[in-house]
Amino acid sequence: MKSEPLFLKNAQTFAEAMVRCGVRYHFAYPITPATEVMKHTAVILPQYGGRMVQMESELAVSNALAGCACTGKLGATSTSGPGMSLMQETMSYMAGGELPCIMLDAMRVGPGDGDIVGAQSNYFQATRGGGHGDYRVIVLAPASGQEIVDIMPDAVKLAYTYRTPVLFVIDGVTCTMTESALFPEAHDYASEFDTSSWAFTGTGDHPKRYLLTGSYTHSQGEELNEKLLAKYELIKEKEQLWEEIEVEDADVVLVAFGIHGRMGQDLVANMRAEGKKVGLIRPISLWPFPDKAFEGLSDSVKSMLVVEMNHGQMVDDVRLAVNGRIPVHFLGKTGGDMPLCTLAEMTAKINTLL
Amino acid sequence: MQELAKIYGETLLLDKKFSYCPGCGHGIVTRLVAEAIEALGIRKRTISVVGIGCGGFSHHYMEIDAIEAMHGRAPAVAVGYKVAKPENIVYTYQGDGDCSAIGLAELLHTANRGMPVTCFMINNNLFGMTGGQMSPSTLEGQITSTTPNGRDVHQHGYPLRVPEMMADMHGAKYVARESVCDAKSIRKAASSVRKALDCQMKGLGFSFVEFIVPCPTGLKLSVPDSYKWNKEKMVEYFKPQIFKNEMEQNDEN
Ligand code: SF4
Repeated sequence: MKSEPLFLKNAQTFAEAMVRCGVRYHFAYPITPATEVMKHTAVILPQYGGRMVQMESELAVSNALAGCACTGKLGATSTSGPGMSLMQETMSYMAGGELPCIMLDAMRVGPGDGDIVGAQSNYFQATRGGGHGDYRVIVLAPASGQEIVDIMPDAVKLAYTYRTPVLFVIDGVTCTMTESALFPEAHDYASEFDTSSWAFTGTGDHPKRYLLTGSYTHSQGEELNEKLLAKYELIKEKEQLWEEIEVEDADVVLVAFGIHGRMGQDLVANMRAEGKKVGLIRPISLWPFPDKAFEGLSDSVKSMLVVEMNHGQMVDDVRLAVNGRIPVHFLGKTGGDMPLCTLAEMTAKINTLL
Repeated sequence: MQELAKIYGETLLLDKKFSYCPGCGHGIVTRLVAEAIEALGIRKRTISVVGIGCGGFSHHYMEIDAIEAMHGRAPAVAVGYKVAKPENIVYTYQGDGDCSAIGLAELLHTANRGMPVTCFMINNNLFGMTGGQMSPSTLEGQITSTTPNGRDVHQHGYPLRVPEMMADMHGAKYVARESVCDAKSIRKAASSVRKALDCQMKGLGFSFVEFIVPCPTGLKLSVPDSYKWNKEKMVEYFKPQIFKNEMEQNDEN
């Protein structure tokens, strides 16, 4: 597939991007707004020799994904809020079993069945894990169709390098937005990774291997957890991703991800044009959280404003990152027809902090 | 051990000590599965997806790759595996709790999907590993640690017959219930294991075998009594039979 610009809904862009980067198996169950992804892969995957497999529930989806990952091949799933909740047991399982995969939570309003309108209410679930045990998964939050395309090769590399699920969390607003994105030439990154040292492909290739869900002995449980901890420390050190704009001399720094982060780019430009010293930190990796972006903040920063499409989730991580050095304020909403804070509301709030 | 491997082949790990209790029916079924894998010559490309429960240990006694699934989800794992690697042989090994309580949806949809994977359900009619609680296949009136006065069907429902539910599914090509309560039954069970795996090797569709086995520990019976109880009580309700064998029919096509 040649390099080309495509004008698509971002959920479709997600489907195109993952398939063009080497995902060949997509397991899914319909749920708004993530359904667009499976509709798209159902059409395009056969052209790549792959398949979209519609399963009977998100429980089955995530476990089929785990089975696929055991072969060493790259599978993916896409879902929204309640579906993500059903997959939490398997997330813990795949993290513990060190199985690579790509996942998408097209975030909508919760709790419960919630609403199908976009939200960022699953930040806690994504970054803390709704599953059991001491585990982490890499969480990425691109803010546009183009960024989905640009970051997908990295997501595949991260999944294999660290043998971990990589979870995209994209607010439903961004997911359902239609915009153009320039796709590079298709490249199967997944097949470039050698999985022969761990994949469960039969004893024809290697002595018996087995994937433990639990520990056979107590010491095995300790060993596994220590191995995972060392991996997570390495990821925290090496894989923090963020965008920052004009923070060096800022009086107020806006912190937002996804759609609000994208609006923040305009907000900074507008307020700077008025001579107001405002900067932006837009986390792209939510786990690992980009602590490093906050470490070097200058003393000029008087306060920070976190804006989210929820009632305050990422704000906890920002507070941990600044560790009391700078006052952190919050603006957010969720539910309703359009659970976004408007640019005017964000600007007004920042004006009270300047 | 060298000598034993020459006689029995490389699949069954005869030097491994069983974690099963003495007399447990799992010992018999595990051996039957290993022997079928050996006889069919598929050891090197066979993957066992085991459930949670005593049967989860079954792969430790075989020189094959294995995946321990979460409770009840083995059939979904097997489907995902088979999609990505259709040339391998994938079977699940699950207890009746794993298969018919927590994992019934995955099992039935896998059967109906008709993808060539094989599920073995080892039915000892209670939760063995957790200490003998009622399972869906516990008999009416049977005393377990969670039915101290016997299973009351008005409260807990009726003992669940699983392969009967698959008989009408087009995707299921070989469906059988066997027992291991005497030598004759074990010989029949051995034949069904082989047919179920053969069905998958031929790519015909889903195959399933339920095994009625005793759990002497959970039943709180001596080993001989537990086999006797199985033969008298269990197989009366869970009748061993071949529900479906569409293998020959497909062979002709
Ligand atoms: S508890 Fe029952 S099923 Fe489990 S190993 Fe012992 S006899 Fe077998």
